[in-house]
Amino acid sequence: MKRNQRILLASAALALMLCSSSALNAQTRVTVGVTETIETYNPYGDSVSLLYGIWSEVTGPFCTYNYAKGDFEGRLAERWKVENPTTWIFSLSKNYKFNDGSTVTADDVVHSLMNRVIGDPQSKQKASVAPSVVKAEAVDRFTVKIITDKPTAPLLSFLCDRLIVTSKAVFDKYGRDAADKEHMMGGGPYRLKELIPGQRLVLEKRPDHPDAKKHPRAPDEIVYRIMREPEQRVTALLNDEIQIAQFVPPHMRQRVQSTKNLRITPVDSVEIMFLAMQPKPPFDKKEVRQAVCHAINRDQIISTLLQGEASRLDGPIGPGQYGYDPNLKPKMNYDPEKAKKLLAQAGYPNGVDVELQTPVGRYTLDKQITEAMIPMLNAVGFRAKLLTPEWATLWANVQKGTIPFYYMGRGSVQDPSAALHQYFHSKETPRIGYVNPKLDELLDKEQQELDPKKRRQYLSQAMSILTDEAPACFMWRHKLLWGLNNRVDYKPLPDARIYGIDMAVKR
Amino acid sequence: MQSLTLESATDARDAVRAGILPRLHVKAFTGGAIVLAFILVGLFGPALAPLDPNKQELTAMMQAPAGIGSAHVLGTDNLGRDILSRVIYGSRVSLVVAFAVVFVSGFVGIVLGAVSGYFGGKVDFAIQKLVDVVWAFPPLLIGITLMAFLGQGLFNLILALVAQRWIPYCRVVRGQTLSLRGRDFVAAAQCLGASNRQIIVRHIIPNLIQTSLVIGTFAMASSIIAEASLSFLGVGVPPEIPTWGTMLADARIYISTAWWLPLFPGLCIFITVLGINLLGDGLRDLLDPRLKRTGAKI
Amino acid sequence: MTSYLARRLAGTIPVLLLISLLVFLLIHAAPGDPTLLLLGEETNAADIAKAKAHWGLDQPIYVQYGKFLVSVAGGDFGKSFKYAEPVIGVIKSRLPATIELAIFAILIATLMAIPLGVWAGSKPNSWIDNLGTTFGLFGISMPSFWLAIMLILLLAGVLNILPTSGRSTYGIAGPEQTGFYILDSIMQRNGRAVWDALTHIFLPALALGINMLGILMRVTRSSILEVMNEDYIQTARAKGLRENKVVWRHVTRNALIPVITVVGLELGTLLSGSIIVETVFSWPGSGSLLITALNARDYPLVTGLVMIYTAAFVAINLIIDGLYAIVDPRICY
Repeated sequence: MKRNQRILLASAALALMLCSSSALNAQTRVTVGVTETIETYNPYGDSVSLLYGIWSEVTGPFCTYNYAKGDFEGRLAERWKVENPTTWIFSLSKNYKFNDGSTVTADDVVHSLMNRVIGDPQSKQKASVAPSVVKAEAVDRFTVKIITDKPTAPLLSFLCDRLIVTSKAVFDKYGRDAADKEHMMGGGPYRLKELIPGQRLVLEKRPDHPDAKKHPRAPDEIVYRIMREPEQRVTALLNDEIQIAQFVPPHMRQRVQSTKNLRITPVDSVEIMFLAMQPKPPFDKKEVRQAVCHAINRDQIISTLLQGEASRLDGPIGPGQYGYDPNLKPKMNYDPEKAKKLLAQAGYPNGVDVELQTPVGRYTLDKQITEAMIPMLNAVGFRAKLLTPEWATLWANVQKGTIPFYYMGRGSVQDPSAALHQYFHSKETPRIGYVNPKLDELLDKEQQELDPKKRRQYLSQAMSILTDEAPACFMWRHKLLWGLNNRVDYKPLPDARIYGIDMAVKR
Repeated sequence: MQSLTLESATDARDAVRAGILPRLHVKAFTGGAIVLAFILVGLFGPALAPLDPNKQELTAMMQAPAGIGSAHVLGTDNLGRDILSRVIYGSRVSLVVAFAVVFVSGFVGIVLGAVSGYFGGKVDFAIQKLVDVVWAFPPLLIGITLMAFLGQGLFNLILALVAQRWIPYCRVVRGQTLSLRGRDFVAAAQCLGASNRQIIVRHIIPNLIQTSLVIGTFAMASSIIAEASLSFLGVGVPPEIPTWGTMLADARIYISTAWWLPLFPGLCIFITVLGINLLGDGLRDLLDPRLKRTGAKI
Repeated sequence: MTSYLARRLAGTIPVLLLISLLVFLLIHAAPGDPTLLLLGEETNAADIAKAKAHWGLDQPIYVQYGKFLVSVAGGDFGKSFKYAEPVIGVIKSRLPATIELAIFAILIATLMAIPLGVWAGSKPNSWIDNLGTTFGLFGISMPSFWLAIMLILLLAGVLNILPTSGRSTYGIAGPEQTGFYILDSIMQRNGRAVWDALTHIFLPALALGINMLGILMRVTRSSILEVMNEDYIQTARAKGLRENKVVWRHVTRNALIPVITVVGLELGTLLSGSIIVETVFSWPGSGSLLITALNARDYPLVTGLVMIYTAAFVAINLIIDGLYAIVDPRICY
């Protein structure tokens, strides 16, 4: 080959190499606008869906719920089995390594569960992650035994996507605060790059991680920016300041969809919205409660206020949630005539005064929705008034059991057990204070029944009673609207969790 | 006091002759007309409003303004309620709140400020201590806590707004009293045997009227805005009372999709406040006893 | 006067004590239990009791207050319930953002208001006066959150020249040193970061400052008007002094008294009243921190924040009084 040709070839090869390497080196970054605030360095210091997702991505996740399959999948915990009703054995994968190269072992899991989630008074996660866990111990380097105080069928829904596994060695060496703030390490596909409380959280992909290798198009960097005002989030999405906007309000859907390069992905949320009624006069009578349920024209609210972005609930849960029974009876459909009759039957032919309380800005259009409910209630004979107390006050009073009638949502209801127990079991919380021994019995049974078929039966029966007795009127599940830039391929999940590894960025 | 009025009346006549008065008159007149209009709308609201402000029509929601002659002149809001009617009813609440807050806080503040500045010493010390303590609270903290504790309601809202609003009056009035205290006419009055109370009421306070008027107009305006802010944070009056502030707060998420929702209540606040301030300005210019010395230069 | 100021200074201690007591009582009186709010939806009675014992909330209120006073005397404001970090640390991390915002708001307000006010006041009823008055009226007639959102929509949304929220763009700003981003960027000689920080602070400062601008302009103008009509101004004119000199040398100094009061008062409002602006712009300052703390009934944090504000306000008041005496020799204490 002539000298010039050789030089040309070499230059071409060099240029090709440079081009491809620079293409490879071009970092992809996805910025997400979120509504939840990120306030602390302590991964166990918050009990919020979004943060469970983020920290789980940094540290595992321990296991994960695959919505498409409708079942749990292993990650850090590869497999599990139930040894006896109160003992679960989790086998860990050997391939998960912390950022410093050390392997994630059973000791780390035990330490995280016992010392950080349960034992640390600053942890806010005990009730959501390990409510019935008594003990965890390392059987061997990669096997963990978890013992619960009573049979807990939904244990996986507490641990998966929620248990955050941090390094015991780092904790022992530096102490908790320094370990969290300066030496945060996890075994997950992303590492924590930067955290400015109140502003943003930045994750960086770990290219050597097995999950990262399986998803080469996942973004190299993910920036979570706190943007609580919807107008602001949508504007930022339109400006390409962010590529994913959480929770676009229904009336802004058009604006996003009509913009080039943007799209809306609606997702059925697993948060159930309901009207709770305490069994004190006038709601001590079942007929009055049922009258409330029949008085609300849910379809009209959904089609007008929510612009169709909600699925009506004809029971405590809907399609996709564990234990859903489409044939649940009775159906509390919109029937104002029936409501009037029920009210008269209950002894209030001339109506009765009630006060509905609602938070403001906590749930989608909560105030507008409840404002729309007032004339509906009035039309069947109630004399309804709406109160909009501050969230802190309202929540405190709900917990104490002093609010007779309120609009509320319960999130993360992928398995209804926890929610049903909280609100309707007579021995758990005073939020509603409904007492029904048969219901209690069914709820206890379902929680401890490890045979899925039997468990579903118990759940069905329990939810039947609930719908008929109506200590709460179940309204709908909102369709969460995610605004996405077409450069990002991502299927949002029904709860507010975001897993960056599932994103694919078009280069 | 009577002599002052006579003087200013004479001055006013002179000022008219000098050609100055019409200009000042315009300001006060415009402002006064605006304020009067809103007071009248507030008083006769129920008769003026075409529809019930709380009547919802979910199928007719978010309709753009259709102009005069149509069913919904200013359009409908996110629950299908007529905006014109809501704005009319909203004027009632805003004005009641504004007037009540200003009069109560003004009275308390001016009295305490004048007393504090005039007597000095221990009285001044005690009152200023109170000022320091109360003023140190972030205004919204008192507002939110009071509203959370007492519950939503018009009376509670007024109380929450007055809690700190008397202080600006107090401080500024005290400052001016301090400088007036050493002036000749006070010494003269004392020589003539006037009591402290007489001196304060007859001599010091009238001289403070201008400043008080200016503060008063600010305060009225700021009360209307403060009510909107408290509503924004969700601790205003309960939802069945339409107020401009609540309407603005509700409209927050519709600004880019339904411009008329935040525009009209915002416009009402703006025009009302503008009117109040114009009136205050005009009044002050009219009552200034030294106006006669300005000559034709103005 | 020095003895007066010294007395006032000594008097701040009982003020601080009184305030801490009042805040304590107010916060505890407001309904809402911090443990319930903090432990999340899915908690139970046993955990609540444990958390209460851990935070010392199960003890009678005078015991809690006593413990608080003792620790404050030692410089420790306790640990925040929500952030689980020392209160001082939490506040320190957020205060620079608010101070920076306040400084810029004041800059915008005074740089525009005082010259405009003097100009308008010295030429009453001219077109300048009318323009200035209208401008001032505009400023005070807007609820700040409405203005904030309109600004975002216009400048960030429609015109797309400014960012919508936050203090800095990820990837441009350098590490935090003082907490004042603009200062940090200058110290690090990072020109891009300076510009980035400035574009982020502009809208919130404008929204925050416009209210103050309106007030300041009006007070300046009205004060100038009053002083312009005084005899000694007439005398100065009669002496043949140029109008400019009359205005700036004689009028302005005397007219500044109420203006100083207002600036002082407004400083206080700015520091605490930036809550709404900070919320709308996701500005991580102490105003939004206060709202978060209040909503979480985070007693130590709220008390700490109010105490710090108090100290600031008392200091400001003292300075204002001192300035009074300097500017107006007729005032004697």
